[in-house]
Amino acid sequence: MEVEKGKTAKYLKTKRPVPKEVTEQLKHFTKTKKLLLNALKEGDKTVPQLAEALNLPKDEVMFQLMSLLKYGFVETGEIDDMDEYYYYKIKSNGKDKS
Amino acid sequence: MKILEYDVLVVGGGIAGGESALNLANIGYKVLLVEKELSIGGKMILLSKVFPTLDCAACITTPKVSEIARHPNITVFTGAEPLKITKKGEHNFEAIVLQKPRYVDVDACTGCQLCEEACPVSVTDEYQFGLAGRKAAYIPFSIASPRAAAIDIENCILCGACERVCPPDCIDFTQTEEKLLVKIKSVITATGFQLFDPLKIPRYNYDKAKNVITSMQMERELAPTRPFNTVLRPGDGKMPDNIAYVLCTGSRDKSVGNPICSQVCCMYSIKQAQLLLGALPMADVTIYYLHIRAFGKGFNEFYAQAQDMGVEFVKGKVGKITEKENGNLMLRYEDIEAGVVKEAEHDMVVLSVGVLPNRGIDEVFDNKKLQLDPFHFINQTDILASPSKTSIDGVFVAGTASGPMDIPDSILSGGAASAETTSYLRKEDSK
Repeated sequence: MEVEKGKTAKYLKTKRPVPKEVTEQLKHFTKTKKLLLNALKEGDKTVPQLAEALNLPKDEVMFQLMSLLKYGFVETGEIDDMDEYYYYKIKSNGKDKS
Repeated sequence: MKILEYDVLVVGGGIAGGESALNLANIGYKVLLVEKELSIGGKMILLSKVFPTLDCAACITTPKVSEIARHPNITVFTGAEPLKITKKGEHNFEAIVLQKPRYVDVDACTGCQLCEEACPVSVTDEYQFGLAGRKAAYIPFSIASPRAAAIDIENCILCGACERVCPPDCIDFTQTEEKLLVKIKSVITATGFQLFDPLKIPRYNYDKAKNVITSMQMERELAPTRPFNTVLRPGDGKMPDNIAYVLCTGSRDKSVGNPICSQVCCMYSIKQAQLLLGALPMADVTIYYLHIRAFGKGFNEFYAQAQDMGVEFVKGKVGKITEKENGNLMLRYEDIEAGVVKEAEHDMVVLSVGVLPNRGIDEVFDNKKLQLDPFHFINQTDILASPSKTSIDGVFVAGTASGPMDIPDSILSGGAASAETTSYLRKEDSK
């Protein structure tokens, strides 16, 4: 069967169902991303500040925040007065549209 | 089944396999290099700097890797592995190679990363050793070779966003596995090593205490393509100022089934300690060791340099690591020189994990037995006179597939394997 270029995902979807864990994982990421970005829109924050504001484990915040840093949503700001935690902020020219 | 013919099959595209392939290709042999990962370059391409010269690992690896990728006599298959290798006679082998689908036409992909931007999925990045995420449509890492995207089909939601944005239309979900029959005259096994999994030592609390990391994770934190903006604790993003190294994690330890020395941990830990003092000038670094084995050229001087820089060395066996509420870690250890059990607090702990063999290559050989040594590395049947020789004539071993060794020794071993392979092939040519 000839499958049209650019529409091959649709073809594979008919042959290979997407596992539930994968869609759950996507939902979790999208939700956490939204929470983190909304919290940062209110002002620059450190990882412990974000964890407290969102009532999330600090290591979870760190992992997701560093992913958002990589994806270009977030950038690193100044370090706090104790030289311990960096502030993170929304990247003004973030390109990622996902 | 498609049939391909080469002079030599090299299994494993790390630095040892790569070195063997290059040497053979340079003297005119046709080489097929088969690598199971999505990029060649092995573990070295992911390192920060190398001991004892502190040269940048990527700066040494990337030119070699591109030479391999562009060599007219080398064909590289990534995401591929041999399923079966049969010896038909002298200078006559047949291999069945499995090419797994990448769902991307590598030759057409320009590495533009638009698919990465478009992909909505975020999963754990294995090339950052779990410290950050990556997309399901992704380039494995920035200096990967080939620098082409791949689709992680296990985590893909098949939304098609990647293929809609791909300028050269190179994403192709219709790709399937392919088996190829490869005829060769000789084989080099350069299957490398895997790192010890510290979950096997529950006393070290690796899964629960988030600020206990492995040396490979620290290596990533120190590399230019690091996951964080600087060296930080994964547990809460704090910049650490009192870091401990636990040597012999999973090496020289009968209780975890690996009684031998991994040969590289002392030196890479000393290297990381020096790099940490550069990255975090206010930090204290303590290395808990059993013996420091600084045996190579320039190694002892490198050790002395770390001592001069202020790295603290404690002869002690760490028994237990517990996490405090603030994420700091209490190390309970035997101070071997004082003969007493002590406790010390650190805010980050690095487990210097050991080197274990990659298993399974012996099972690929079909009608001849590829002997392993008692530790499951490939046995060198004539270690002094012919160190690359294995129990099968015409099959040679390169690099850490034969045992733990550092980078210079792996390159040397790759060179030796290519020389012995040449000599084996020339025996046929001269007939």
